[in-house]
Amino acid sequence: MRSRTRAAWLFLLPALVFYAVFLIFPVVSSLYLSFHEWNMLTPPLQASSVGMQNYTHILRQDPVFLKALWNTLVFVAVSVPLSIALAVLMATLMSRRRFAGLWRLIFLLPTITPAIALGMVWRYLYRPNYGLINTLLNAAGIASQPWLNDPATALMSIIITAVWAGIGSNLIVVDAGMRDIPEEYYEAAAIDGAHGWQRFRHITLPLLKPTLLFVFVTGTIAAWQVFDFIVAMTAPTLGRAGGPVNSTMTLVVYMYQTAFEYLNMGRASAMAYVLFFIVIAVSLVQLRVFWRGGVENY
Amino acid sequence: MAGEVRPVNRYGKPMAVGSVVLAVVAATMVLPFIWLALSALKTRAELVAVPPVWAPAVPQWRNFKAAVSEVPLGRYYLNSFIVAGAISISVMITSAMAGFALSKYAFRGRDIVFQGILATMMLPSFLFTIPVYYMMRHVPFAGGNNWLGYGGMGLLRSRLSMILPFAVSAWGIFLSRQFIMGIPDSILDAARIDGASESRILWSIIVPAARPALITVGIYTFISQWNNLFWPLVVATSAPELATLTVGLKMLETSFDPNRNAHLILAGLTLGIMPVMAVFASLQKYYVRGITMSGVKE
Repeated sequence: MRSRTRAAWLFLLPALVFYAVFLIFPVVSSLYLSFHEWNMLTPPLQASSVGMQNYTHILRQDPVFLKALWNTLVFVAVSVPLSIALAVLMATLMSRRRFAGLWRLIFLLPTITPAIALGMVWRYLYRPNYGLINTLLNAAGIASQPWLNDPATALMSIIITAVWAGIGSNLIVVDAGMRDIPEEYYEAAAIDGAHGWQRFRHITLPLLKPTLLFVFVTGTIAAWQVFDFIVAMTAPTLGRAGGPVNSTMTLVVYMYQTAFEYLNMGRASAMAYVLFFIVIAVSLVQLRVFWRGGVENY
Repeated sequence: MAGEVRPVNRYGKPMAVGSVVLAVVAATMVLPFIWLALSALKTRAELVAVPPVWAPAVPQWRNFKAAVSEVPLGRYYLNSFIVAGAISISVMITSAMAGFALSKYAFRGRDIVFQGILATMMLPSFLFTIPVYYMMRHVPFAGGNNWLGYGGMGLLRSRLSMILPFAVSAWGIFLSRQFIMGIPDSILDAARIDGASESRILWSIIVPAARPALITVGIYTFISQWNNLFWPLVVATSAPELATLTVGLKMLETSFDPNRNAHLILAGLTLGIMPVMAVFASLQKYYVRGITMSGVKE
């Protein structure tokens, strides 16, 4: 028995070493850095301590950080529910349909393509003068929109692209969840005379709850860290990403610039910790709201 | 169709209505890619023509040659392949080992370790970025004359700096644990009675039996690493020759003027995503399984 325990720990060893080196140590170091001023050029242990200054600075005196926080919040709050709602609609329409695999494949095309490439293509689609989107709008009698060129519409434009790209992966999960619901329930409901919305509301939604929780929580964690689309769609170089006039600046883009363009590692670490607390808090709230009666081990 | 009942979906609605909506949304999924492929073959004038032209009058195949002459996409392909491949293999092996340990052995601390590994999925990756970057830069005896820890580039000049931080995956461990739990204990006990060592059980029984899960883990990891941008971008700043394909695609915009040479950027993007898209699409089954197996079902 004891030799088996030893074997188990031996099998775990590579993973444990990995987590110690690439996870626990960096997380602790980042906490240390967030209370220091450090430019990565001097030894980290000689960095000068600044107490809470990095935190107070970004939360009180840094309008760009607050702007990035707000933009990211808008991105999360709009793109995640919208993408999931569209995925639920598409999966609903795919029920009992032949060639389901082919439909899935079509929706998966953006998901299996690098976001950086998708964003670069959409940047051309959004061009105000020759872009495909304005061309189609004009054909439908709608005036051209400035899209990425106007601070008022730039973030929305990126959200549209992210929603478009995100439907596929959500659809796969939601579709699998819906397939697990037995057809008999719907047949019984039809015999009982329940109409479409009632069937959706009282059969699909309750049984889909674990699936929806899963896509909401994982989708939200990913959306807080949006980076690729911003980099792809706002500027040719990283240092200038997030425009026009910071209207599309998000937390991770700003952290990247703070760390690797301005070499302000302490401040960037403080930002990372602020993001960390937000992600944890939001995830817990989501679990609570979805699971009023205790959290299921999903 | 004559004599058959009019086909309805689970909600009693005729399938035809859904077909229209599905077809419209599916069209938006495909349209950007079609536009990209056609535009890659256009002349500079055709790309900015008013009214826009759909297809090039004469396909400009030399756009591809011109794009590759400035941006070595072939090398980036190779870099991506090596990095994503090495990460996938490492993740498959470590997931099999840790998944086995966490499912088929009873020992103190097992549940804590497992829950800890799951919890890591909630951490924003920027929490690790700065310390891991610094660590990679200061690995002793690597990257040239760096044995005191300062001056050299450590592993930043090596692909290891791109591979190591992703060598273990919490999601991969979770998935293989769930799968290995379903392998009957009686097989393992029979092997033990025959005198098989624990590591022999792992490699000769568990790994073959868990092959579907491990292949899914490998392919899903490969695709997501292939599409990964953030970390390769951080590393490639000090080692441009190690740039992966996603980084290389972004470099198209600094190598060519996005306004004057859009046709070359689009040709580069086409070369960068279309061939891979075909390969990944053929692996749809595994990718879908990877998404759906990740925790939705018990």
